[in-house]
Amino acid sequence: MSGFRDGALTALKAKIAALEAGGRGDSAALSLGDPGLDACFPHAAGLPLGQWHEIGGEGMEVETAAAPAAFAALLAAPLAARGEAVWILRRDDLFAPGLVGLGFPAERLIQVCARDEADALAVAEDALATIGVSAVFVEAEAVDLTAGRRLQLACEKRGATGFVIRRRPFGGAGTKAATGSAAATRWRVSGAASQPGPGEFGLGPPRWTATLERCRGGRPGAWLFEASAAYAYEGHDGTHPLRLVAELGDRQLAPSTPLRRAG
Amino acid sequence: MDAVAHGLGLRVGQKATDAMALVPELVPAEAEPEADAQALSALVDWCVRFSPAVAADPPDGLMLDIAGVSHLWGGEAELMADFRARLAANGLPFRLALADTPGAAWALAHYGVDGVIAPLGGQGELIAPLPPAALRLEPETAAQIARLGLTRIGQLMELPRAPLAKRFGAQTLERLDQALGRGREALTFRRPPSPWIARLAFAEPISTPDDMARVSQDVAVRLCARLEREGKGARRFEIAFHRLDGKALTLAIGLSLAGRDPARIAKLFQPRLETLDPGFGIEVVTLVADRVETTTARQVRLDSLADAAVEDGLAPLVDRLINRLGEGRVWKSGPRESHVPEQSAVSGPPLKAVAPRAWDPERPRPLRLFRRPEPVDSVMAPVPDDPPVQFRWRNRLIRVRRAEGPERIAEEWWTGPIEAAASSHVRDYYRVEDEAGTRFWLFRAGLYETGVPARWWLHGLFG
Repeated sequence: MSGFRDGALTALKAKIAALEAGGRGDSAALSLGDPGLDACFPHAAGLPLGQWHEIGGEGMEVETAAAPAAFAALLAAPLAARGEAVWILRRDDLFAPGLVGLGFPAERLIQVCARDEADALAVAEDALATIGVSAVFVEAEAVDLTAGRRLQLACEKRGATGFVIRRRPFGGAGTKAATGSAAATRWRVSGAASQPGPGEFGLGPPRWTATLERCRGGRPGAWLFEASAAYAYEGHDGTHPLRLVAELGDRQLAPSTPLRRAG
Repeated sequence: MDAVAHGLGLRVGQKATDAMALVPELVPAEAEPEADAQALSALVDWCVRFSPAVAADPPDGLMLDIAGVSHLWGGEAELMADFRARLAANGLPFRLALADTPGAAWALAHYGVDGVIAPLGGQGELIAPLPPAALRLEPETAAQIARLGLTRIGQLMELPRAPLAKRFGAQTLERLDQALGRGREALTFRRPPSPWIARLAFAEPISTPDDMARVSQDVAVRLCARLEREGKGARRFEIAFHRLDGKALTLAIGLSLAGRDPARIAKLFQPRLETLDPGFGIEVVTLVADRVETTTARQVRLDSLADAAVEDGLAPLVDRLINRLGEGRVWKSGPRESHVPEQSAVSGPPLKAVAPRAWDPERPRPLRLFRRPEPVDSVMAPVPDDPPVQFRWRNRLIRVRRAEGPERIAEEWWTGPIEAAASSHVRDYYRVEDEAGTRFWLFRAGLYETGVPARWWLHGLFG
């Protein structure tokens, strides 16, 4: 009897999932290269594709959005290799050589400078629904529920993945609150102190602290990532360019010594 | 031949030695008919500012059809005054005349008073006192007329038509008729109309946006069928809705790849149709294709579902975005051979292929490069050529934890005059990281000099 009930429940859950995914069945996911990390996402498969993700910064980064942009670019770098990528800006200060240095294939990136926020989101929607576009980055101040839902529908059309990089215009009032409940995940990213290799001077490979604040069908967490292959010729062996350095406790930085597994 | 030369006794067709004898300080130069023709055609292009219909009248004349444009200057006299002032500013010797017919205008410009404006239908009186050569006759005919003692056009006008034609040839009569407006004359205006044009006329005028969208597709179907037959595609389309009152409303779209898909072209026009005011209705629609190029027919692939073609997705997307936002707002960054950071990436067409990893990854460049470097102050840099220990940017005090550099980048002195190059244009770049992990790209402008405070700038953020 209970076996029957479980079976019915599983079938119903699958049906709801299929409905939610717009009839596409199981949506794809992008493995981030670490089983423990992938397990935080739905189906323990990694970053869900065909949905949109919200990535924001804090402090100064609310206006410059450099660390969130770098993190988003690296998160999506394997996607950009599969198709074209579109980056929608309000202020054209994205520098392609910088993206290439991090390991993002900028030769596949089309940049669009939108006039205002509504324009930016409309362009993002258009780009997400286009054949051959695999990742769309849009710099926007806030995405409200309606716009978020529209983005989600556009993502489901072709399975493209959206990345909303939250950025307040320079000198903007910045009163818009984070809503974004239509997003699959919400991240808060800030730069983290780099760790040069033993006997090396200067800066090490760039690092970021990324807090997964919200994840639909998954659980939140906080991690320290490193782009080990950034600013170097070698690397790029097919693994995800973001390497997990350490898992951080909830909203606090890692203790310095025991977690330095790699450096 | 200008007035000064004429006054010295020089004549067209004179021998060079004779001319030199008359004017010993004369500097002879070879005639260059091709260069003259080129200059004339450049002048024709320039004259388009006065009238869209400009015809060259070789070797040294221009015909402007100003019917319907003179009111833009406030009248024919004002138009001519403006034309005169602008020609004079170019330093060209010229004579102007305005008349109902090209023939009369030519006669008045060459033989009449400079700047004369013939009143409507009054060219007959004005050209009557001019010599018969003003009718643009063959030299032999003109000489024959002169031999017979006819020195004025007025005398020709009084002669009976039949004997005139018989004696001096039908051409003389035709020229006379053309000058007086009794005969037609076709001028070859410079701008050749685009052969890629389709036109639809309606029995009943249309005015609703829906109808306009429908007819724009209908006219596109016509033009695209022609393009397809000849294996061509176009990158620019201009549609014109001609209203009942004679005004034409135009819209233009551009394509990033030459195309001929009527549905797609009509779709690009559609969002902007609402901005047009159809007035009392539209009776004719025309579509002109520009920048026509040969395109190969597309092969329909069986595996097209797996691997999307650019024509399917990206090209229409780029067209939509460019037509909506503007040309400069959609681009792809490509490499440029320059070590000056802001010049090492240039914006190119969005569908252009760019070499992968075109920039040296071992020279770290910021993710955000400010268009203008922002000044930083309160910089503490202990030793010359050392990275700063702390600085203030946007009212934040930033303490540097790690730093590397300098990477010295000098200006490209070989591109400008060598005197303009200065050591103060050298920049020493440092990549620094603060305590929170934010990475900055700073530079010190100029070489370090004792006693002179160094100027520091923030050029980008690494993220």
